[in-house]
Amino acid sequence: MSALSANTDGLGRRRAVNRLMETIATLAAFAAVGVLAIMVVSVARRGGAAIDWSLFTKTPHPFSFTNEPSGLANAFVGTLVIVGFATAMAVPVGVLSAIYLNEFARPRVAFLIALALDVLNGVPAIVVGIFVFALIVLDHGQSALAGSFALAILMIPLIARATQEVLALVPQATREASLGLGVSRWRTTLGVVLPQTIGGILTGTTLAVARVAGETAPLLFTSSIVGDRLQWNPHQALASVPLKIFEYSESPDPKDHAQAWAAALVLIGFVLVASLIARALAAHSRRRMGLHR
Amino acid sequence: MTAVAETPAARAAELRRRGRFNPGDTALHGVTLTAAAAAVALLGLIAWKVVDQARPAIHRFGLHFLVANDWDPGARQVFGAAAFLFGTAVTSLGALLIAGPLSIAIALFLTELAPRWLRGPIGALVEMLAAVPSVVVGLWGILVMGPFVANHLEPWLKHTFGFLPLFRGDPSIFGLLPAILVLTIMITPIVSSVSRELFLGVPRELKEGALALGTTRWEMIRGVVLPYARSGIAAALILGLGRAVGEAIAVTQVIGGNVAIHWSLFQPGDTLASRIASQYQGATTKLQVGSIAYLATILLVFSLVANIAAQAIVRKVARRQPVIR
Amino acid sequence: MTRRGVIPVLAAVAAVAAATAATSLAGTSRVSAPTLKGAGSSFVAPLVAQWQANYKSANVEYNPIGSGGGIAAITARNVDFGASDAPLSKDEFAACKGCVQIPWALSATSIPYNLDLKGRLKLNGKVLAGIYLGQIKTWNDRRIKALNKGLSLPSTKITPVYRSDNSGTSYNFTDYLSSVNSTWKKRIGVGTNAKWPAGIGAPKSNGVAAAVSQTKGAIGYVDVAYAIKNHLPFAAIQNAAGRFILPGNVGIRAAAATVKKVPSSNEVSIVNPPRSQRSAYPICTFTYVILPLKTSKASDLRRFVFWALTGGQQYGPKLRFVPIPNKVLGASEKTLKRVHS
Repeated sequence: MSALSANTDGLGRRRAVNRLMETIATLAAFAAVGVLAIMVVSVARRGGAAIDWSLFTKTPHPFSFTNEPSGLANAFVGTLVIVGFATAMAVPVGVLSAIYLNEFARPRVAFLIALALDVLNGVPAIVVGIFVFALIVLDHGQSALAGSFALAILMIPLIARATQEVLALVPQATREASLGLGVSRWRTTLGVVLPQTIGGILTGTTLAVARVAGETAPLLFTSSIVGDRLQWNPHQALASVPLKIFEYSESPDPKDHAQAWAAALVLIGFVLVASLIARALAAHSRRRMGLHR
Repeated sequence: MTAVAETPAARAAELRRRGRFNPGDTALHGVTLTAAAAAVALLGLIAWKVVDQARPAIHRFGLHFLVANDWDPGARQVFGAAAFLFGTAVTSLGALLIAGPLSIAIALFLTELAPRWLRGPIGALVEMLAAVPSVVVGLWGILVMGPFVANHLEPWLKHTFGFLPLFRGDPSIFGLLPAILVLTIMITPIVSSVSRELFLGVPRELKEGALALGTTRWEMIRGVVLPYARSGIAAALILGLGRAVGEAIAVTQVIGGNVAIHWSLFQPGDTLASRIASQYQGATTKLQVGSIAYLATILLVFSLVANIAAQAIVRKVARRQPVIR
Repeated sequence: MTRRGVIPVLAAVAAVAAATAATSLAGTSRVSAPTLKGAGSSFVAPLVAQWQANYKSANVEYNPIGSGGGIAAITARNVDFGASDAPLSKDEFAACKGCVQIPWALSATSIPYNLDLKGRLKLNGKVLAGIYLGQIKTWNDRRIKALNKGLSLPSTKITPVYRSDNSGTSYNFTDYLSSVNSTWKKRIGVGTNAKWPAGIGAPKSNGVAAAVSQTKGAIGYVDVAYAIKNHLPFAAIQNAAGRFILPGNVGIRAAAATVKKVPSSNEVSIVNPPRSQRSAYPICTFTYVILPLKTSKASDLRRFVFWALTGGQQYGPKLRFVPIPNKVLGASEKTLKRVHS
């Protein structure tokens, strides 16, 4: 009897503590969401006020005395070129590495490769920028391709990991069946296993693109000395949206700030849309492979 | 995971043994091996190239660089990293101090406390915070958060906690405190998503067993979930720390670029990554370039150590508990 | 997705790759006029922007990454010309492997501040040095009050803003402080970057202007065109004759009139002009274009720089860039002739 009553005496206090902790956790979650909301609303409000077609069709005119409309067309084109080439560089290396990792490597080697890829993922973007600067820019000058290479280094671990995860999900029975029918290993891998993983590879690639589209630090040393004209030659340094936002954020001119907000809105919009697409692709391919959440 | 059924690699080994092999197989093996080797070699190449660039400064200053508080690109050409090591430590640890409990609380909310219909949307929103590029966080930091910090937050801190040397000095839109806040925003998503995975992996029987014994939910969390996930949380915190240390752009936009060591968080300072970002392009002498590369080397060493430690813990934890996705 | 699905995907990737390759080749042949790419001083960027708009014989591209960045870029031959307000040091000349510096514009470094004052702030070199050394901490310090009798000054803390990157404007400012203040000369000296004892650092001229305009009580040093463009009030600085002068065309012209002879390196310093120049503004500077002696774009570069030195100077006065005096012009043209392919 006494034990039970002792319990119920403390129960009120314990319940109060529980209520308190639950409240704190809930508040924390909403605080995080609140900060995100404040930031996104800031960008949406200020960017939305400044966004118009000239952002995409006109180029910058700093120090212009005529009040001609200016925009960031060169930066948008530059980002498309740089990220495009980065994707073209990173997807083969990432996918093929993952194939080796999952299909060919012995367990200990696989462990080391996976570890190396995860560590590569954690190398700060600015160090990657210095690396590519020392490797390429010192001898050959700045170029969009050098910037693409830097971004590709950031993308490879993400694509490799995503590919490896979906490869591991393909049932061993599929491979066995194909091999048992006499199909050679390489045909099995490329023709039977890989097609089932395209969804996952696309997901990983989209996420990687979303990640590097907004990266500033690697481009700071590889593709930053640019003019104001519209260009798309990848052998030259090209303007990019994150670098322009960076430059305008430190400017005293409110007009520059407005353009920075507008460009930030476009960038966030692109990154969020890409993340949503990746998420949808992942859910779709999971459903197709018969997995349930 | 791999019981009696063979892995694809083991199968390949057996086929090789049996002699059923094919030049196409060799080609695929070779191509994929090259790709994997290249990816791994990149890591070594990065380390080597950065250290190579730093050589003039390493040769000149040696390890004294780490404790010297000097950055004179003028005639004296003397460089030292102490102020940036201090700035990096203060801002990253400060951010971790705030983001750590915040992220764990978010993860707990998402796994234990929130009604099921709310978990998806809130979880997605927190992950989208991770998708905001650092330059946009920095833009918001300079133009929106900075004035708020200078006009409201710092005066309030000074008024309430001004007896601490941390909160003395004059409010400013640039400084260590805005940098801490910006880094907190950047690392919360990582720490909370890793924590969330960890908490999802706690075996249901353990949790339900505790609840059946009459514990409140908080007591169950404190007694079962947190201890179970303890090492994983450590890994998450280390990953977050690594990310904070490596962040250059958002920090350099709000920190004020000052080479000094002071107590007050309101004062400007600089971090390793931020100094690299602000100085590299304009460095004209080999010694200045080398000193900046030396900073990058320190950054690289730290992030490698943090990453490997976190990965080791994550792998140990993963081996222990199979995560049912 | 079946195996059939892989082939269209590969075909699409190949098509995209081919398209980008085609456009990259097309991009190179699209340009009719030659392109001259430059980078460097943000100090001279407003004037270069006028030249970009008005020079028709070539497409001039310019990126104001700071004087240090310009020197680094031309040393690595990443650009066709570099621009710097700071003259090259001996080491930099050596690293650049056969470069010349040519003064091609002339302006002043203004001292903007962020205060609501009923009149114009007056300062001198000693007080400026004291502020930037961290010795003078508030605006109502008696040393500032002594120069500004009749002006009520608040007790706001002074936040000195300096350039965090390697800056020619910093060189000009530290050059001036060193010549008027022996403490500064001994402790800090002259340079594109210094061990700034106090204040906050901001990158490029734009960054300094932004930091000053966003921080109450801040003071900075920046090319006068930036202060004007951003509506920042700037101080009148006391010259050697004891008069307080603003960085206008009259003050700059008077400072440049002190140049008697241009050395072979073309390095000219006009800070703190002697007392005889009663109207001179004490913090003026020439700014240089840095060219490699041997370059494949020699004829285009020579034509452009010659135009900048002569016809291009007319776009300056509106931005407080005074046409360079004849003595310097002669030396510049002589050096320019040496650039060959």
